[in-house]
Amino acid sequence: MSDIVDRSRRNFLSFAGKAGLTTLVAQAVGINLGVVDIVRAQTGKRGVEPFRFAIISDAHLYSMPDHKFDAQLADAVAQVNAMTPLPDFVLFGGDVAQNGTEDQLVKGKKILDDLKMPLKIIPGEHDWYLDMGEAWRGLFGEETWSFNHKGVHFIGLNSILVKDFWTEPGLTNLERMTIMEMLESPIPGPWGVHEKQLEWLAKDVKDLAPDTPVVIFTHSPLWDYYPRWNFQTSDAPEIREILSKFQNVMSYHGHVHQTLYNRIGNMSSVAALGTAWPWPYPPVELAFPETRMNRADPSISTDGMGTQVIDLSESFEGLVQYKPFEDSLTPFMRDGFKV
Amino acid sequence: MMSNTTMKTEWVVGMSVAAALLAAGATWARPPFTPEELAEQKAALIESVARGYDLWHGARADMTTNGLACGNCHPDTAAANPQTFPKYMTMYGKVIPFREMVNWCIENPQAGARLDVNSDDMVAMEAYAYYLHRGKEITPGLAAYQTTPIVVEYGTGFARKPTGLGVDTKP
Ligand code: HEC
Ligand SMILES: [Fe+2]
Ligand SMILES: [Fe+2]
Repeated sequence: MSDIVDRSRRNFLSFAGKAGLTTLVAQAVGINLGVVDIVRAQTGKRGVEPFRFAIISDAHLYSMPDHKFDAQLADAVAQVNAMTPLPDFVLFGGDVAQNGTEDQLVKGKKILDDLKMPLKIIPGEHDWYLDMGEAWRGLFGEETWSFNHKGVHFIGLNSILVKDFWTEPGLTNLERMTIMEMLESPIPGPWGVHEKQLEWLAKDVKDLAPDTPVVIFTHSPLWDYYPRWNFQTSDAPEIREILSKFQNVMSYHGHVHQTLYNRIGNMSSVAALGTAWPWPYPPVELAFPETRMNRADPSISTDGMGTQVIDLSESFEGLVQYKPFEDSLTPFMRDGFKV
Repeated sequence: MMSNTTMKTEWVVGMSVAAALLAAGATWARPPFTPEELAEQKAALIESVARGYDLWHGARADMTTNGLACGNCHPDTAAANPQTFPKYMTMYGKVIPFREMVNWCIENPQAGARLDVNSDDMVAMEAYAYYLHRGKEITPGLAAYQTTPIVVEYGTGFARKPTGLGVDTKP
């Protein structure tokens, strides 16, 4: 895969919903996007062809021109572009926008367009609830997707769907959005991926062999971390059940704006740093407290944020490296950790 | 679950503290408050807490010029650690009270206009933060110590009239 992918190719990867389609068209136009080789992904026998991918998350862009968060997202893009070796692609973990407006999403896409490599993206609640994803879909395509890359099956789901609390009382779109913007809002309740995506997921992995390396990507964690702040996905148990046949599943997510690792059954779970602001750890015990980052210093406006890069080995072992803008990492995390 | 029961439990706790003091033969400077008086005091406190909740979530436009509100970075007032104040803060080079740190976060991350430290709104800012840390150990001076607020299941963390929307109305 070339380091520089031009706009049209990049768009094309991010817009193609299904791996089959991407592969077909990619081969047809004769470029190697690295998303070929479905057969190997299905059998897993030949293992992973080692590669790395990066994650950028939670930019929370505001509409004001030259807002500090614009620069922070641009810093993240520059940081990923300067990684050696270069990641094959970048996953964006949701919450491009703060208030879900089209101008914020457009601004985010424009900054992310400077990435040298293809981008895959799933939505966060801040992107969604002004127009129920209309602008987001127009810019970024389908929110539910899967593709195969060098022997690994990647899945993306929209995990921020809540029960309709707005129609009956006749709330405006703006009211609905404002309610969703507050992390500890008493109104929306726990969110999830809901029935249709569960069915899609079951179908998507039906023919994959148990030794297929699987990476699943969502905005919120696939375990009950702190439901109060929607640090959860209500149907995570169903998702984990559908994926339980696999030997090893890696879950990566945004939304929590902090470093964090957990493991449940065959699934490891790793959180992404945001680029806008860090969130405090909620009042619960962590199973792996060594993956907590340092307290952010509020007088350093970029402290507690950053990007992350994951190297996958031939045996589908992941080396997770957080790349904070400042000094956020405890000794345990400084050289990365294996998942 | 949140609103009524919580209100009742808190009220009962308040009452039983008064009862315990009485039983222990504590001397009162004046006759103990009547249940009505206690209820009034509690209501006044909760009114200030509620104002604080709104202020932490952007109710005053002059507290920000970049759109940020305290709630963006401090959900449920987490990481504000009110019970660790007064303490030494490096940005001041001296020991400062909680209220000054509130103003620091208004002026810096939010690029807004500081509040009068003696205003009702500043009291409300403090009331909400302390209320969400009620029962937590008071540890002044521990600048490096990250505390957590109380666990809130849902609702606002204090008794407030439910909105009638979504899970806020959940019994
Ligand atoms: C852009 C994010 C951001 C915003 C907005 C923000 N803060 Fe902060 N604030 C921080 C960070 C980060 C810290 C350091 C947290 C830590 O020590 O873990 C902090 C620290 C504090 C502290 C001191 C905690 C301690 O123990 O030293 C107080 C009090 C505080 N904030 C109050 C507020 C209030 C009140 C507002 C709204 C007026 C506010 N903050 C808005 C990011 C923010
Ligand atoms: Fe976010
Ligand atoms: Fe989010």
